[in-house]
Amino acid sequence: MQNFDVVVIGSGPGGYVAAIRAAQLGFKTAVVEREFIGGVCLNVGCIPSKAMITATHLLHKAQHNFKDMGLNIKGGIDVDMKQLVKWKQSVCDKMSGGVNQLLKGNTVTVLRGDAEFKSSKEITVKSSSGTEAVQAKYFIVATGSRPIEIPGFKFDEKDIVSSTGALAWDEIPKRVVTIGGGYIGLEISSYLRKLGCEVTVVEAQSSLLAGVVDPDCAQIVTRKLDRSGVKLMYGAKAKGQKKVKDGYEVTVEVNGKEENLKADKILVTVGRRPNGDQANLKAAGIAVDERGFVKVDAQRRTYVPNIFAIGDIAGQPMLAHKASYEGILVAEVIKGYNRVYDAKTVPAVVFTDPEIAAAGMTEAEAKAKGFTDLKVAKFPFGANGRAVSMMETEGFVKMIADAKTNVLLGVHIVGPEASNLISEAVLAIEMGARLEDLALSIHPHPTLGETMMEAAEATLGHAIHIIQKPLTSAGKNAHA
Amino acid sequence: MATDVKLPELGEGVTEGELVKWLVQPGDSVKADQPIAEVMTDKATVEVPTPVAGIVKELKFKPGQVVKVDSIMITLDSAGATAKPAASKPTPSATTAASASGGGAATPIKLPELGEGVTEGELVKWLVKPGDVVKADQPVAEVMTDKATVEVPTPLAGTVKELKFKSGDVVKVDSVMLILEGGAGATPKAAAPSPATQPAAATKSAAVTTSIPAAAHLNFGAAQASNGSPIYPPVADSKVLATPATRRLAREMGVDINGMSGTGLAGRVTREDVLGAKGGGSMGAGATRAGAAMPAQVPGVTIPRPAYQGGPGVEERIPLIGIRRKIAENLQRSKQIIPHFTLMDEANVTELVAFRESLKDYAEKNGTKITYLPIVMKALIATIREFPMFNASIDDAASEIVYKKYFNIGFAADTPQGLVVPVIKNADQKTIVELSKEILDLSKRARDGKLKLDEMKGAGITITNIGSVGGTYATPVINHPEVAILGMYKIDEKPVIKNGQLAAIKVMNYTVTCDHRLIDGAVAARFMKSFLERIQNPGRLMMDMV
Repeated sequence: MQNFDVVVIGSGPGGYVAAIRAAQLGFKTAVVEREFIGGVCLNVGCIPSKAMITATHLLHKAQHNFKDMGLNIKGGIDVDMKQLVKWKQSVCDKMSGGVNQLLKGNTVTVLRGDAEFKSSKEITVKSSSGTEAVQAKYFIVATGSRPIEIPGFKFDEKDIVSSTGALAWDEIPKRVVTIGGGYIGLEISSYLRKLGCEVTVVEAQSSLLAGVVDPDCAQIVTRKLDRSGVKLMYGAKAKGQKKVKDGYEVTVEVNGKEENLKADKILVTVGRRPNGDQANLKAAGIAVDERGFVKVDAQRRTYVPNIFAIGDIAGQPMLAHKASYEGILVAEVIKGYNRVYDAKTVPAVVFTDPEIAAAGMTEAEAKAKGFTDLKVAKFPFGANGRAVSMMETEGFVKMIADAKTNVLLGVHIVGPEASNLISEAVLAIEMGARLEDLALSIHPHPTLGETMMEAAEATLGHAIHIIQKPLTSAGKNAHA
Repeated sequence: MATDVKLPELGEGVTEGELVKWLVQPGDSVKADQPIAEVMTDKATVEVPTPVAGIVKELKFKPGQVVKVDSIMITLDSAGATAKPAASKPTPSATTAASASGGGAATPIKLPELGEGVTEGELVKWLVKPGDVVKADQPVAEVMTDKATVEVPTPLAGTVKELKFKSGDVVKVDSVMLILEGGAGATPKAAAPSPATQPAAATKSAAVTTSIPAAAHLNFGAAQASNGSPIYPPVADSKVLATPATRRLAREMGVDINGMSGTGLAGRVTREDVLGAKGGGSMGAGATRAGAAMPAQVPGVTIPRPAYQGGPGVEERIPLIGIRRKIAENLQRSKQIIPHFTLMDEANVTELVAFRESLKDYAEKNGTKITYLPIVMKALIATIREFPMFNASIDDAASEIVYKKYFNIGFAADTPQGLVVPVIKNADQKTIVELSKEILDLSKRARDGKLKLDEMKGAGITITNIGSVGGTYATPVINHPEVAILGMYKIDEKPVIKNGQLAAIKVMNYTVTCDHRLIDGAVAARFMKSFLERIQNPGRLMMDMV
């Protein structure tokens, strides 16, 4: 029997962060992990997919931009998929190993195995080497989520796969049917297409990323996917599949009519479900809602006062950075500090081509919040010197502000490095910045970051590098 | 195992509800989330669910009763119910204060605890500068707390490397004030600070926890529903404009920034607004608003800055800091919160004057001199025994009236630094001679700025003796959270017609200024009448002796 102050179940970006902060605060801390240190994010999620996206982005540039730049590659580029996957794995291993080091350095005990609650004070950790009882004053449930399986498409993680299986393919499949046009499906489909794969995306709704990102942003990505040769099917439902001689036949229903799609591999990315059904949460008295989320309050405390839940299992959005924020929050709440989840915005990033990133409200959300009078404007990457020199001019920065106060409410970016640009917007929103604050901060030239300043100016009605109409009356007269 | 189910938060600003009816009976088996009662708030009638399953053991209220948020509604017996654990009360483990910084390198010196309930102080001035060599226990700064300026010593010796604040800054208890370098001139003490040589630091990790007792207590109460948790202050709405650091400060200080009208650009709630709101004391009572930086600030009102009056030297600007700022804040708060009214009357003190004259020799023999103040104090104590609401406070946060069973009497003292109110503790248990001596001692030390913080706290009611300076009548300001202040004025001779004859009597004016929330005008009139009876007949005071 081992005894701890704090035991964290799950070592993903929520769990390991919570464990480190708890240890920093002086608690005797353990983290339980049944699979990979670092969880889905570091091993079969965010990090490996970004490795693949980076590599295929470079490939794509070499194939499409190099010639214009006078860079000629003799004989074309040969993709060694086995080496690519090996390199991707080395990236994951480096990150996971780093987390392991951090845990060790902070004297966090790592317990390997499956955790199960016995009571609100005790769990067992079951591994191949036996079952051990572990007691703690506090537990932090950070057990995450898993891909949703749909009827007729049981994962074998070889041919019919979730994101986990797709990231492990060490040969480029010829034909892939992706069921679900959400962000995970589109990220993987995009890079598969760049590897030369024929991809069909089967989306049940009438547009991609519907309700997930700003519709204008989704439109840019949709156009590019379409142009790159990804086949997009809307209002389409995957009914089933059968094995045929040369692969699979996927039956899809569109507008009441059935259609069969040929595929070598089937990728199912219809979302993720929280692991509320695991770890025997009931034995501790933890309440789980009908979707599998653990019910928590603003401090991420469950119904049981000494048990907290963070990350995917604690509710939407299921994003690593939200989990990490909650991990720190909970460790400090346990310490006795008065803390709550009060971040104004959780930024969201989609690593499509081009990338989409958002912080704060969409126009619809702002209206729903009671901001009746909005200022909205876009600044295109086509008018930004750095974007032009990178040959990546698709997209824009869109800003939404309260017209009464010019306080920034939302920023939606689609374009190169949107993922890196959005942090400025997050800070601005958290600080309650006004458009003038962004516009009057000197942004270095020539950078993509200038688009933030220019978008703020555009929203104020006077960007320098685009022509905004109507001009003021003086301007009009001057041009008359 | 029994589990208490408390009334969860019912909505923003709702602190209580009336129990309309029970939906369960003792013996009933309930599931988690099952409604157990109907409770009516001023906005709506709502069904209150239980967060945990169990068997109803006891109902704590009857329909029609008003139930406060967070009070226990029912007790559940969880034995036999689905294995929901009882709501145990984990205590935040008081482990491990941050490990002391080792070696002889830079050592941060933090602001120690300055007194019970004191969470911050204003830096009045530094007594050291970078490069100075300091000894352990040497005062390094003057810090102004609630009412007093105290000298803050360093627990360690060393060389001052860096000062972290400027005069006028508000420094929170436990924040790093200055950095000492343990090297040159440091005594061995400094090399490896141990808990023994660092008493201030040692008490601090406790101070951090105790500075938020209310919230911490609530958090560790019974099992909370995800939407019924008594987290205070409530989570800031996304519409509130305040930086993350300011939001955290507000939380740590127990200030609800929702609905607060900030003084910053576009209504931004600033750090100063939060500090000012805390100065307001009561939580979420609507009276907690801006003002630390500008004591004259009224919520939601922009005060025009005084116009510049012309050429150089015409005006002088000095920072509003120190005791003067505390006075400004305290009095502004009092006026914001308390609806004041003042009742005035005149006493025939002919006998009182004679009485005091008769005591002169006796007092001199006992090494003191008797003023009117201790006698008035005795008369006041006897009168507030009869009218206990004059020795009470209103706890705005809890919506409760606090009646005090002790008799601590404050008296306003005019000092070179400004108004100070020393307090005589348990004045009812002291003789007039003892009171006289204590008044003289406290007054002298008040003038010298040597009062301890503790000697200015805990008054139940205050007397202002402005008449010793001049003036016929005044309308004093109550020393919040007290609810009354007695004013005494100068003694005059006055002709009266008595039995058809012209006679000279001595008169003295008195005022009683009251918190009208608690004390009605008629009550104040009766109080004054009873008090004057005692003042006019010093012999009557004998009847009040306990």
